[in-house]
Amino acid sequence: MQALLVFLAIAALSLLASSRTALDPGRFPALAQLAASGLLFLALGAVVGPGSAGLLEWSDLVAVRPVLALGLGVAGVIVGLNLEPRLLRLLPRAVYAAALAHAGTAFLWVALPLAGPLLFSMGLPPGAAVGAAALLGAAASLSSGHFAVLGYRTGRLERNRGLSVALLTVLDDVVGLGVLALALAFGVKGSVLGGLGLVGLALLLGVACGALLAFLMHGLNDHGELMAVLLGGVALVSGAAAYLRVSTLLAGVACGATLAIIGGRAVGQAARELGRFERPVYLLLVFLVGAHVQARDVMAWALLPGYVGLRFLGKVLGGALARRIAGATLALPPRLGYALIAQGGLALCLVVEYLVLVPGPLSQRVFDVVVAGAVFNELLASRAFRRVLAATPTRASGGAT
Amino acid sequence: MKGALLRLLLLVAVLAAIGQAQAWRVNTGTSVTLAAGALLLCGLFAGKVAKGLGLPRLTGYLLIGVVVGPYALGFIPGAGVKGLELVKGLAVSLIALVAGTELQLGLIRRVGAKVAALCVGVCGVTFLVGFGALFALKPFLPFLAAMTVPQALAVSALVSTVVVSFSPTVTIAIVQETSARGTFTEFLMALVIIGDLVVMVAFAIAAGLTRASFGGGLDVGGLLGGVGWELFGSVLLGCVLALVLLLYMRRVKRELPLFLVGLGVVSAEAGAHLHLSPLLVSLAAGALIANLDEREGQRIHHAIQRAGLPIFALFFAAAGAGLKLDALLTVGPAALLLVALRAVAIYGSCRRFSPKDDPRLGRYLWMGLISQAGVTFGLAALISRTFPDFGPQVEVLIVAMITAHELIGPVLTRRALQRSGEVRSDEAPGTA
Repeated sequence: MQALLVFLAIAALSLLASSRTALDPGRFPALAQLAASGLLFLALGAVVGPGSAGLLEWSDLVAVRPVLALGLGVAGVIVGLNLEPRLLRLLPRAVYAAALAHAGTAFLWVALPLAGPLLFSMGLPPGAAVGAAALLGAAASLSSGHFAVLGYRTGRLERNRGLSVALLTVLDDVVGLGVLALALAFGVKGSVLGGLGLVGLALLLGVACGALLAFLMHGLNDHGELMAVLLGGVALVSGAAAYLRVSTLLAGVACGATLAIIGGRAVGQAARELGRFERPVYLLLVFLVGAHVQARDVMAWALLPGYVGLRFLGKVLGGALARRIAGATLALPPRLGYALIAQGGLALCLVVEYLVLVPGPLSQRVFDVVVAGAVFNELLASRAFRRVLAATPTRASGGAT
Repeated sequence: MKGALLRLLLLVAVLAAIGQAQAWRVNTGTSVTLAAGALLLCGLFAGKVAKGLGLPRLTGYLLIGVVVGPYALGFIPGAGVKGLELVKGLAVSLIALVAGTELQLGLIRRVGAKVAALCVGVCGVTFLVGFGALFALKPFLPFLAAMTVPQALAVSALVSTVVVSFSPTVTIAIVQETSARGTFTEFLMALVIIGDLVVMVAFAIAAGLTRASFGGGLDVGGLLGGVGWELFGSVLLGCVLALVLLLYMRRVKRELPLFLVGLGVVSAEAGAHLHLSPLLVSLAAGALIANLDEREGQRIHHAIQRAGLPIFALFFAAAGAGLKLDALLTVGPAALLLVALRAVAIYGSCRRFSPKDDPRLGRYLWMGLISQAGVTFGLAALISRTFPDFGPQVEVLIVAMITAHELIGPVLTRRALQRSGEVRSDEAPGTA
């Protein structure tokens, strides 16, 4: 019955998300914005989940965990496929430094101040509290470039400026994934070496599955077969990671990156095929993520303003720093930090992965703060991005960076 | 074929390595996604190998499922295969939805009466043969031996209705694989679908009689109500889903694949919880859409057909992985006897009752009726749940029969279509 409820809710949302009347930006701007970003699905998941209205129970969420694993795997493979090594090698060092500056500043601004409240409110060992604060920082460091991409596609922002912002947001994913790996290494096992071993196992699994997938796809010309093999490969890497209780997201990223390196011509096809499933899988994933929210945790609500506010400040300062570092290399817009407020789906993936692999009150609190923060950040990002546009003189679309 | 075999062996080796890695971990997580991915990939390449050997791809899907499944090499955990029930339900719903879109009123008018007449003949003869054989085997079958004569008669009748059942899913999958088109193919598809409707009615009546023979009392009203609810309730729900789908396609026009998947799950889950037939629900939905708006019916048909390869490969590989090989060993002789008698009964009745205007029906149709799969599984499980005293033993017998039928049925169905001369291509892209 749980699956029925999940899919009914998604079908209803899918209808709502497509309704021009219900989601007229002139009438309900916030609702329209959440629908466009898919976070409406997150909000509905939170409402029907066991931590709120209780239409779904915790046992239901355990039952649909295979779907969650698949969603994380797909997200990981897509991120991995986007990390094209040839393009990454061509990037100047200043670009990496700028990405690290904006992500690192937000990380530190959130992780350091919030480590204290986590430590004192939970009564847990300092190591665990620091790990949780680090994950909050990692989630805060991630940004989504969808406002920038939308901006240049609609002609409101120069193309090269939009692409520069998008590039920085792609690179900050690496920071987030790195922190996730460390948080899992410290959190999953008593011994750090054992935890590192599990992170290594996830990466090894991903590399092996990526190589296998490249071999299986080699020489396949039929569109249907290619799609089926790709789907099977993604399910295999996600499923194997979930079965061995190692990070599905990291395994997926390793699989995608391996495929990108050795896949040859199959990579482009794989990316295109997977892109067709990206939106439905993302919507399903954010719905399931939302359903895991524990809305009755007062302490999480208390931490939320601090998280959102500190992240905002961190992004504004980090953006200014990044602009100073890479201003001569990239066509970055003034008030860059305001363009980096939107948080994106990878942050949700990070915290849900942490919740699944390191279950407990601490990971639940971190999860609740980041998920609620994602919604507020999305609403905040729209207004913030208008300040970027206001400060940016609009010219005819320029060339690529 | 060598390339496909090499890839298949590599996949099996990776699965073995994952199984070894699992041994190091104290706690393992969910194995359902692993089962889905592994069975899908193994199924795809086993299908290619089977094709290279001149067998239907479907046979490859089933065999590799058996090999890597929990009852042979054990590379895929049993819990993972069991967790694919939702996927199986979804696959049956989507397959039935596609089949429904082919049930045009014109086709029903053209062959409906002939199919119904032949169906009664084939089902009747097969039921009588199965019934006689089971009752004659009473002293040798442990679950019948201790029963009184009236009880044994009722249980024999109940089991015989399951023995009669066909497999629309296998038939539709082979038709898709071979791109078969023509009157013979239409007749075969209509016969297996209507045949299973007849079986559902007969099963409900036989279950009521069996309950009465064990002292539960004969509730005629309840019996008829149950049958009526399953048939008409399924059609009604199918019609509601069809209208919802049509409305969605006309008004919303977005995220159709996601919506179709959602609707398939609704059909499967609602069918199971409301004691309706998911197969009939989706068939009715597909048929209504095709007859109300042919263009939208074609859209659904093409959308699902394009995704047919992974659906079929996963569904049948999972079915293979779920086959209990040990059941074949324990009740093998009785099951094989029933398999042989069922085949003879279907062959004889097809020869005798087939319309004479098309000689191909008398010669080859029987081969298309041998397969048994999802519906038979479902009825066997229902017996097991409803009659816990003897049901589990009946289930073992039926599962042993299904194992045999799953392995030979697809080969025979393809041969029937080939000999009818209606096979267009064995290389239809994106199909099973």
